[in-house]
Amino acid sequence: MSLLEVRGIDVFYGNVQALWGVSFDVTEGQIVTVIGANGAGKSTTLKTLAGLMKPKTGTVLFGGRDVTGLAPFELVEQGLVLIPEARQLWPAMTVLENLELGAYGRRARRDRARTLESIFAMFPHLKERVRQNAGTLSGGEQQMCAIGRGLMARPKLLLLDEPALGLAPMLVREVFTSLKTIRDQGVTVVLVEQNVSHALAIADRAFVLETGRITLSGPARELARDRRVRDSYLGLASL
Amino acid sequence: MEDVVLRPAPIPRRAVPASLFAAVGLLLLLAPRFLDRGSLNDIWNVAFGVILACSWNILGGFAGQVSIGYSAFIGIGAYTTVLLALKGVDPYLTLPLAAVLGALFSFLIGLPAFRLRGPYFTIVTIGVSEAVRVFASGVSFTGGSSGLRMPAGSFDFGVNYASMVVLALAVVALSAVLSRGAFGTALSAIRQDIDAAEALGIDSSRFKLAAHAISAALVALAGSLYAINFQYVAPGSVFDFRLSLSIVLMPIIGGVGTLAGPVLGAVIFSYLQIKLLTIPALRDSYLFLYGGLLILVMLFEPKGLVGLWNRLIAAVRRRSGGTDGP
Repeated sequence: MSLLEVRGIDVFYGNVQALWGVSFDVTEGQIVTVIGANGAGKSTTLKTLAGLMKPKTGTVLFGGRDVTGLAPFELVEQGLVLIPEARQLWPAMTVLENLELGAYGRRARRDRARTLESIFAMFPHLKERVRQNAGTLSGGEQQMCAIGRGLMARPKLLLLDEPALGLAPMLVREVFTSLKTIRDQGVTVVLVEQNVSHALAIADRAFVLETGRITLSGPARELARDRRVRDSYLGLASL
Repeated sequence: MEDVVLRPAPIPRRAVPASLFAAVGLLLLLAPRFLDRGSLNDIWNVAFGVILACSWNILGGFAGQVSIGYSAFIGIGAYTTVLLALKGVDPYLTLPLAAVLGALFSFLIGLPAFRLRGPYFTIVTIGVSEAVRVFASGVSFTGGSSGLRMPAGSFDFGVNYASMVVLALAVVALSAVLSRGAFGTALSAIRQDIDAAEALGIDSSRFKLAAHAISAALVALAGSLYAINFQYVAPGSVFDFRLSLSIVLMPIIGGVGTLAGPVLGAVIFSYLQIKLLTIPALRDSYLFLYGGLLILVMLFEPKGLVGLWNRLIAAVRRRSGGTDGP
């Protein structure tokens, strides 16, 4: 069943069109990854889904309901949560404060204690840092905190913008493993990632964005074998 | 492993203990029994400054939305009081309406202006407040540029003094309460990263509007008490751009976004201004001094006196071999 249906969205930055009639479906319980070069519109897609940008035309259905143009806080309340690029933690707050504030919405606040426990189970390291200011964490810890903060909002659909950006290879693996755990707990994931081989390895489906248009889509395993994808995005891997 | 308590963790701000706060408050309220009128006037001025600085700090400090247009709210409060007093209403009964009108006007500015971020927002606030001043100078119901005088009546400085001091204490207490609760945490999230706040379900516009309204209402109250004390109000004085600037300067000197900073900044700034204005040579050039002061603060300690103090504490700890440095 489709949890998210994106139908022909056009998105503009002023007069510059960033997305051209983008349409795709996200099936509940899957990890879907959006791959593409810099400036292809990956982050714009996520920002639009999260309500931070409004499409000029087209619709977004979430759980069968039209959510086009809703404000971010309304979407969060419905279970659509974005973990923004470059973590964007609140640096002067502690890890615990960051996490707690993630559960700001009414729906999430009720389950706060239970969600927190499950996040500490997933990232035990984070529990040791609860009293530390988020600004003093390492890059990997910050990313875990950012993912945890997103989970605190009890998402049905979690949007992640480049979670592996700037992380050491070992941490990249840990972050990607956590995404699989998150999916297995029943949260649908849309992942934007430059690290295409990793993304395709954990994703169920994938889309390729090129200059604001979707040019390829299909099961992630098939796309990983597709010659065009291998040449354009997995160049080194095919050598 | 440490047990995690699900309450907002105490914000690491060194809060002035409540007992000291109460003692200072009591002392100020009893001051008319043992101080002369001149000193009481000085305290009145400082209290006025504290109200302006702390109220501004709710939006400008906690939420990080720097407005340089707060004189508009002083003017609205002052004019509400004078205009109604001229209709025969007891001046102190006009205070609630002044607060409500101040808050309403804050929505009028905030609804369009909060669509903008950072310096763009600040510039709009300057523009709006200047427009208000020009408008108030041009229309007749404000008395035009010559202003309005309160109806002659019995004026009691004691009542006005007590009101100003009580309001100042209330604003400081309210700031402390706000900064610790969920409301303050949300404002702080907006200040530190508004995109993240939005992405996680905090309706930033609503919180900014609320913070703006609360601080505008408080500043309008101060404006009312100001008008009652001076018995006279004119667009050139209450809508003065320099007044808007002073309101920003006080928290910046003391430490933006902290609790003690605006109070400290207001005390120093207000007192300095009283003393400087008595020196004829400085009467017109004191703004240069403030400008210089602002540049110094920005260059060397953007967190103001509170930041300086924290640095000092950290240095002393390091010197004494403490391990819990920042």
